Amino acid sequence: MNTLRTRALMLFFLLLLACSSGGIRAANAIGSAQPDLLSDEVSEDEEGSDKGIADPLEPFNRVVFAFNDKLYFWVLKPVKIGYAAVVPKDIRVCLGNFVSNLATPVVLINTLLQGRWDDAGIVLSRFGVNTVLGVYGFGDPAASEFGLASRSADFGQTLGVYGAGEGLYLYWPLFGPSNIRDSIGLVADNLAQPINHLQIDSAQRLSYSGGSYLNKLSLGSDVYEEMKKYSLDPYVSAREAYHEYRNARIEGKKFNQNDNSSPVGLEILPGIEKQIFPSFEKQL
Amino acid sequence: MNNKIIYLFLILGMVLYMGASANAVEGPTAQLKPTLKALTDILSDESLKGDGHRTERRTKVMTAIKIGFDFQEMSKRILGRTWNEIGADEQKLFTELMTKLLENVYIGKLESYSGQQIEYLEERIKGDRAQVTTSVDNKGVKIPMHYILNLSGSKWMVYDINIEGVSLVRNYMEQFKTILRKEKFTGLIKVLEEKNRSFETVKKEGK
Repeated sequence: MNTLRTRALMLFFLLLLACSSGGIRAANAIGSAQPDLLSDEVSEDEEGSDKGIADPLEPFNRVVFAFNDKLYFWVLKPVKIGYAAVVPKDIRVCLGNFVSNLATPVVLINTLLQGRWDDAGIVLSRFGVNTVLGVYGFGDPAASEFGLASRSADFGQTLGVYGAGEGLYLYWPLFGPSNIRDSIGLVADNLAQPINHLQIDSAQRLSYSGGSYLNKLSLGSDVYEEMKKYSLDPYVSAREAYHEYRNARIEGKKFNQNDNSSPVGLEILPGIEKQIFPSFEKQL
Repeated sequence: MNNKIIYLFLILGMVLYMGASANAVEGPTAQLKPTLKALTDILSDESLKGDGHRTERRTKVMTAIKIGFDFQEMSKRILGRTWNEIGADEQKLFTELMTKLLENVYIGKLESYSGQQIEYLEERIKGDRAQVTTSVDNKGVKIPMHYILNLSGSKWMVYDINIEGVSLVRNYMEQFKTILRKEKFTGLIKVLEEKNRSFETVKKEGK
């Protein structure tokens, strides 16, 4: 028992050593390479050529959009408020940490596939630190003590990095905005989730997914409501924002942003999880 | 050895060039800073806080923001080609409505400001346009925000805000495109007026 523990500790420190140099370099790189937003200027006569988003399924997508809207206001929001009222925020944050720690393999695979070696190092270090010092990943000392902010990467992004086009725009029930490429990515990432390789029955798996979904929902800001409030055509606004946000993530994979959105799997529903408009996050 | 000399000249040339252009006009970051400073000052002013001072606060914010933000340029870009097809009166009306909407959106959001630090990360100039990258630290979570500016005369004015790749102008432009296609300019005006009214009713309900 004792030897096992020493071995685990040694392994952990080795890992730390191996990764720390990469981690520091990446941390320094933050902010040094900002995306060039001046090059994609919209020229005045560009409007006619719809080089934008392919959305032939718009009528159908809009029906799903309306469905998700009702689902959000009638079901998810009340449940979320109830959940947030019962479970203290600290605990919800811990649960969220646990879930994202468990999803480390998915992020790791994708950072490696994208050639983000420094980020892969950080992901590994974070896993080591948080699993051991953060008690199985419930805490996040990697971020709070070691300054290693979480990284995210998903397979849709990986496909994009390798030049795959996004295909048609899709709006999924519950999951919200997506496209062919990212939907494939979502399925692939889900297959790589360790939780799906455990010997548990589908009911347990479902409750894990549902629970982590709800938990994530309760921690996020009310992006969807905000977006709805500020846009004249929320459907188009969400589509445009999703498209640009994903593109920025694919093109800008080089510029390490402090990305604390938890990885993969259950992307937050009807809206996207990131700020669409300037937002100082409001949390429940 | 030769290489070194070439580099030296290159660097010298670059420094001289940058110095020359900086002398002509104050850079975009230098011009943006005071505007954002004025905004955060107003927003953290204790005597202006609370719902009671809402109108006063908004007026102050709008006066301050107009020094560094070009709402007409924003409106023009949002409307795209249609801008040139409408008359001056309509342009003015649209700009007014759009300014009101942006006030509701952007300033409404800014009002949840609580002393976060704005960090200036990078500046990039291309011709008469510039990009200033800032980062807002919110409880350890850094939100990168890019301001896109346009040089008019000697003033660098913000006409777009970009967060994580999502551009404010483009987002509205795309929304308006579909509305314009179906309901033309008059329809768009109607939708805009309605939207602005919705903020009023929310306010009243909130009180």
